[in-house]
Amino acid sequence: MADLPEDPLDMLMARLAQGDRSVFARVFELLWTPSFRLCLKLLKNEADAADAAQEALQKIFERASDYDRSRPAMPWAMAIAGWECRTILRKRGRRREVAEEEAKEETEERTTESAEEKFVQQSLVEAAVAAMGALSKDDRETLVATFWDEAAAVSGATLRKRRERAIARLRKMWRKLYGLD
Amino acid sequence: MDSIEFNQRQKRARVAYELGRLRLALLGMIPLALIVALSVAFTQKPLSAFAFGLAALGFGVGMLWYGRDPQRAILPGAVAGLVPLVFALCANRMHTCGPDGCTSLCMPACALGGIVAGLFVAIVGNRRKAGALFWLSASGLALLTGAMGCSCAEYAGLAGLGAGFTVGVMPGLIRRALTNNNPPTAS
Repeated sequence: MADLPEDPLDMLMARLAQGDRSVFARVFELLWTPSFRLCLKLLKNEADAADAAQEALQKIFERASDYDRSRPAMPWAMAIAGWECRTILRKRGRRREVAEEEAKEETEERTTESAEEKFVQQSLVEAAVAAMGALSKDDRETLVATFWDEAAAVSGATLRKRRERAIARLRKMWRKLYGLD
Repeated sequence: MDSIEFNQRQKRARVAYELGRLRLALLGMIPLALIVALSVAFTQKPLSAFAFGLAALGFGVGMLWYGRDPQRAILPGAVAGLVPLVFALCANRMHTCGPDGCTSLCMPACALGGIVAGLFVAIVGNRRKAGALFWLSASGLALLTGAMGCSCAEYAGLAGLGAGFTVGVMPGLIRRALTNNNPPTAS
């Protein structure tokens, strides 16, 4: 049986393996398109595919001197390109997982923060109510009227004086109860 | 993809190719590095042996990196160079070289080793019908490897090695020149 004619890429790769740089550009041209197509099929993104094909070709040429001429060059090169694309896919998957985890942690953190704030505010209101409870009925009514902005039936100057006195007494009570302003 | 980007990608691949060849060349020189270490350990003048060893290693890395004929000349060149190296080291062990040099045993050993090395390179070169680069590379590596041992006899040893090698390689070179001038005719 007659031998099959040797593939041109196989011959060129064998020459490149022996250090014949004159065939470099031709080998690059022959390998670029199939590598790019394979990566595009696997990655489904043109920019990523171009980068992956570039990485793959760099690896192929880095190992070109090791090329075993008894084996066909194209499957060998495509195996390297496929491996490179799968590595990129794995990295992409890992990056997505990390991003999802970070988002989850952030949401949890925000929930904890708002619960803390709510608790502090509630404690303050309780403390204020307790301080108010220790005041006289008149003072309490004046402060509530001030809070709700009710002018009541009292004239402005009298109300102002009453309010000032009530606030001063509330402050005093607060200091007595909690030891701070 | 435009041609500029394509050329840039090609350039990056070319750099990777050259670096890959350099890595392989460095790995390929490990056996010669062991030979250099052994000769430095056994010779009476380790400094000069080390200097020639370093030169042989550099030359060998260059040959392997370049590829083609020089790459094919690595093995014959190193094997040929081992002959004067071993001869010189053995002669060196039999007696100690004095301040007047050691022309009594080392120089003849180097000359004889040179002849054998030259003959070996010539036989391999003619059998492979190798080009000029093969002859030059194999001869260069053989001489540098042999010089690691012959440097113990200083200039006399190196001169003996050079003269012996020239005598050994000359018949082969003449034969090659004659064959190139009268190529065989197809019957």
